[in-house]
Amino acid sequence: MNETGLRELSEKLIGTEIKAELLRLFHMNPGILDTVESIARRIGRMAKDVDPEISTLVELGVLRKERFGKLDVVSLNTSKDREVQKKLAALIERGAEG
Amino acid sequence: MRAPTGISELDAMLHGGLMRGDVALVVGSAGTGKTTLALQYLVNGATKFNENGLYVTFEQMPSQIYRDAASFGWDIRKLEAEDKLRVVCTSPPVLAQFVESRNPIDPIIAEINAKRIVIDSISHLESFIPASELRSELYRLVNHLKMKDLTSVFTAESHEVFGDQLVVTGVGLSFLVDCIILLRIVEVQSSLKKALTVLKIRGSDHDKQLREFEITSEGIRIGVPFKDLEGLLTGTPRRTTEERFAEAFLKAAGKGK
Repeated sequence: MNETGLRELSEKLIGTEIKAELLRLFHMNPGILDTVESIARRIGRMAKDVDPEISTLVELGVLRKERFGKLDVVSLNTSKDREVQKKLAALIERGAEG
Repeated sequence: MRAPTGISELDAMLHGGLMRGDVALVVGSAGTGKTTLALQYLVNGATKFNENGLYVTFEQMPSQIYRDAASFGWDIRKLEAEDKLRVVCTSPPVLAQFVESRNPIDPIIAEINAKRIVIDSISHLESFIPASELRSELYRLVNHLKMKDLTSVFTAESHEVFGDQLVVTGVGLSFLVDCIILLRIVEVQSSLKKALTVLKIRGSDHDKQLREFEITSEGIRIGVPFKDLEGLLTGTPRRTTEERFAEAFLKAAGKGK
């Protein structure tokens, strides 16, 4: 991934307050396996505001959304999350050097 | 075949532990130690008996469970990293999917080869499943767990802290489960104490005494049976007739001196 790509990734990841809250929630509680509605309640937000942010994190691969029966269940994609964290750490390191 | 809880006094009361593949219900009001007992059962399973476990929680966040467990010296994150334990934080509609052929819980059970499961608390399902279907759905869940050879612990909240009416659960869950462990707060000589008893085990004898227990820095520690008191389950015990007679006798003997 080039410099621009990394910047876009970091903006997508922590571009909004809700996304930051979601990342914090999942990092502190990697065992969450829940619906968007319940996740929204866990961070004290409304599902309509949280849903698009979860979709972005699903697009990035940090979160996983799977259909079970009538429910969409969201969970942390631990391996992808670790990978993204490494890339971000590299970006921060480069920024500090530059 | 038994699945020991690892709490030696409780295992003695259960004549060796829970019966393997059974579903046990731990009932108590808020603050009695249901979560601590259930967690201790899983931690001991993973660390002492080579039986990995899954902890399913609804309201309590895993971060809170990690923190509370650490105060007992249990490193849940480490056990998770070693694939010996998993904490899953979910909601009743997701858990209800568990009985479907494709569900989000089965892959976790397979991943760690779980032999034990805790659902904390089963009372939360009551808010999701319509009352008319609750008993049959719980029956389905109980049987689903048995088919998977999991030795399960459900916790359930009893709303009565004190009182002479003891309702274990409102939907007949006590008939569906194989074992019931009751935790109760009792007042003894103006002090609040915690009491534990085994109400039933299907197909096995068990200790029927009511014992005092404490939540120590190492988890639950069960002491000796309460002596010379009756009516403990009402929360306000009184001394036994023998005890009252003995006191009256000693008083009378003192006067006669």
